[in-house]
Amino acid sequence: MGAMLEVNNLTVRFGQMTIVDEISFSVSPGEWLMIIGPNGAGKSTINNAISRAVPYTGTVLFEGTDIRRSKSREMARNIGVLSQNHYVGYGFTVEEVIRLGRYAHAPGLLAGGKDEGEEKVRDAIRKTGMEPYLNQSVLTLSGGELQRTFLAQLFAQDPRLLILDEPTNHLDLIYQKQVFALVGEWLKKPGRAVISVVHDLSLARAYGTHALLMKKGKIVSIGSVEQVMAPEYLNQVYDMDVYDWMRQMYGQWSGAAQT
Amino acid sequence: MKQLNICIALLTAAALLLTGCAGNREKGGETTGTAEAGQQETEETQSQTEKPAEPEARGTGPITFTDMNGREITLEKPADRIVALTASDCEILYALGAGDTLVGRGEYCNWPAEVMDVPSVQSGENTNVEQIIALQPQVLLMSAMAQTDEQIEALENAGIQVVVSYAQDIEGVYEAISMIGTAMGKNDEAESLVTEMKNTFDQIRENSTGDGSETIYFEVSPLEYGLWAAGSGTFMDEVARMLGLANVFADMEGWGEVSEEQVIQRAPDYIVTIAMYYGEGLTPVEEITSRSGWENIPAIQNGKLLNLQNDELSRPGPRLKDGAELLYEFVYGGKTE
Amino acid sequence: MKKRSREGFSLPIYILFTAVTLAVMLLCICVGSVMLPPMDTLEVLWNGLTGAQGPVNEMAANIILPVRLPRVLCVALVGASLSLCGGAMQGLLKNPLADGTTLGVSSGASLGAVTAIAFGISLPGFPFAGSMVMAVLFAFGSLALILSLAYKLDSSLSTNTIILIGVIFSMFASSISSLIITFAGDKIKTITFWTMGSLQGSSYENALVLLAALALFGGLVIGCGRELNAFAVGEDNARNIGVNVRRVKLTVLICISVLIGVCVSVSGTIGFVGLVTPHMLRSITGPNHRRLLPATLFGGACFLMLSDLLARTLLNPRELPLGVVTSFVGSMMFIYIFYMSRKGR
Repeated sequence: MGAMLEVNNLTVRFGQMTIVDEISFSVSPGEWLMIIGPNGAGKSTINNAISRAVPYTGTVLFEGTDIRRSKSREMARNIGVLSQNHYVGYGFTVEEVIRLGRYAHAPGLLAGGKDEGEEKVRDAIRKTGMEPYLNQSVLTLSGGELQRTFLAQLFAQDPRLLILDEPTNHLDLIYQKQVFALVGEWLKKPGRAVISVVHDLSLARAYGTHALLMKKGKIVSIGSVEQVMAPEYLNQVYDMDVYDWMRQMYGQWSGAAQT
Repeated sequence: MKQLNICIALLTAAALLLTGCAGNREKGGETTGTAEAGQQETEETQSQTEKPAEPEARGTGPITFTDMNGREITLEKPADRIVALTASDCEILYALGAGDTLVGRGEYCNWPAEVMDVPSVQSGENTNVEQIIALQPQVLLMSAMAQTDEQIEALENAGIQVVVSYAQDIEGVYEAISMIGTAMGKNDEAESLVTEMKNTFDQIRENSTGDGSETIYFEVSPLEYGLWAAGSGTFMDEVARMLGLANVFADMEGWGEVSEEQVIQRAPDYIVTIAMYYGEGLTPVEEITSRSGWENIPAIQNGKLLNLQNDELSRPGPRLKDGAELLYEFVYGGKTE
Repeated sequence: MKKRSREGFSLPIYILFTAVTLAVMLLCICVGSVMLPPMDTLEVLWNGLTGAQGPVNEMAANIILPVRLPRVLCVALVGASLSLCGGAMQGLLKNPLADGTTLGVSSGASLGAVTAIAFGISLPGFPFAGSMVMAVLFAFGSLALILSLAYKLDSSLSTNTIILIGVIFSMFASSISSLIITFAGDKIKTITFWTMGSLQGSSYENALVLLAALALFGGLVIGCGRELNAFAVGEDNARNIGVNVRRVKLTVLICISVLIGVCVSVSGTIGFVGLVTPHMLRSITGPNHRRLLPATLFGGACFLMLSDLLARTLLNPRELPLGVVTSFVGSMMFIYIFYMSRKGR
């Protein structure tokens, strides 16, 4: 099985600081790669590089093509990004925001949304349960509803690779689970993959197939979730007994840690 | 006795005027300047000694007068270091032959040409007290409009006598000239200057045959930057009435922005513009003639347009008479005299 | 769920907009500082349009076609252009207070025009093209400067940072303009023209230039409606959904600079037009730029024509500078928007 995304010697510098240092990894269809590590490890920066939001050295290949060569729309048809928080300046309706996801598929400058995507848009709205909100202004939505709106936009965009940047950072537990469950559902279709940055190790453990553990811009460990999330690595990176802590935190509630 | 006194005074005035003029003209040359000034001084003292009967002998005792803001002013002696902020006051000083007493001028003072050699200071809203104090004048001539009481106080604390000169009509100009003449110890020059102006205006009034049926439009700012016209209460308006013309914007107080439509509707018989010409493109007169919609205005059909470039009619100074004469020639043809 | 919601306006709505705009235009042609009988005015207009000759009110003939009509046309075009620019900038920067005035672009443009006049920069054969070109260049330079400074200081481009920089830049550019005006003396006469604007003396040539700029560059901006929607949702979001962020931004900024530059060189600085109209219209059309931008054309034209009508008639026979009217309305609007946006957070 050939890799979908191949990252070679990725390095990102801001001024004198090296945030991401010569990192290489690959993601194949069907995989959900969890990027974990403490604050300041450079997790989000990897995402920003792959979505071309920051300059980098090294190469990022999507199905063998350097992403720097692809046009903006082509890029968006391949890779979709869900950022961590959204503040929309104006009162667009939920439907308008979701429909923006079809932008990359609309042929020309003045063309409307008349592509095979109508089905995709409706599907995305149904899957995320946003039907009741369609004509509502996004300014009136709660954090969870807003996140689902952008998830619906992303589904409508129909990329092959999803990048989630701490997608549940500001959300209540129930919304965190919702978002991950929706993405898990999305991933079931063949030819798709997900990369996400998460803080919550239990979520990483529950949904990820693979994991990439980082510290100070370098890879500490990479492989299947089980391999990477072994105590010896985690404890080294987080400077504490992670499992002991998780047991303390969640243990009393019927072993939530190993769901 | 009284009559005799007046006769003597007039004679002295005439004599002084001659020497004054001569001195002024000589100063245009280079080296004779100081010599002339010395000569002038001796003649002045001579005339004083010759006529001891004259009550206000010059150079002796303090001078008192009321300025145009109604303030009592006392000067120890005639001022010989002066800063004048308004262009008209500079012109009055030069016309009185006292241009050499000017040690500072407002930035917009530009007449006569030699005033440009005098150091300039900011004026109006930007009046800078420090600049003025640094020039160490005895007297500051300024208008009543833009300076604050605090500024005046600061100046007087620095030992500078502030004199307000603020003419709003031609009578006011006469008053300003006499006041400045008093302050400078040049009463007689002032008097003859006023007389000269009055004579000119009288002559114009006498010779003008207009009965107010013909109209005139004064353009202060050209169309390109918004049309401004002179209304009533302006010197232009006063001179127009002197010539027996009606100002088309007499219903407007002061200067103001007006619309083209109004000018077309009011159809003036004469147009005067004070726009400057910089030697490129259309001249102000050509520009007005070329405006579309203006073709049927009588002034344009008859070619009755005049461009006064040197502020003759916009400043309350002695050159108002030149402006009035130019306007007379423009309207009636030929000289007033 | 609706079948498929149309984003742009339908033809009947465009016809309605056009009708309203034409009605306002007719009103502004019929009413002016000189009162003319409306029937005579209409007759002159009709004859002008059809080329018919006929006995007409001579005063009306002298005023309507040569003076009033070109002015109203220019006012309408300037209003449409400035409003379109405001609407586009507010979307691009996701900032409801963005406008040529608040960002200092207008001051930059007038500095360019003042510089051109003061130093006699002109294109041979086109006497006023020199100031126009300089105004456009300075408008673009100002925008580039303000935005790069804002990015440096605050990469999220928050409302406050960018407005603060804009205001400061505006003061800076105005002070340089005043300096040049002071030194250039009489050559640049009325300062009010550069700070408050005036459309006196507008000609059909002016209208043609404005129309050409609006058709070309305004058309381009309107064509970027979807992209501007994405920017208004968020620049990151725009990049994520596949908008070529850099190209769109550059295109829109160049178009805005040209439009503002041309407007300023024709009419001086008329403040806040780009703030008022898009804001009023957004409550009717919603924030979607595919509706908002075309609506700003009509709305801006109507707003400025009515403001100009006030400026022309309020103090008859005097004229008010047009910018006095728009700035009065605009600064009120500014405070209102600012208050609401603070409260809304």
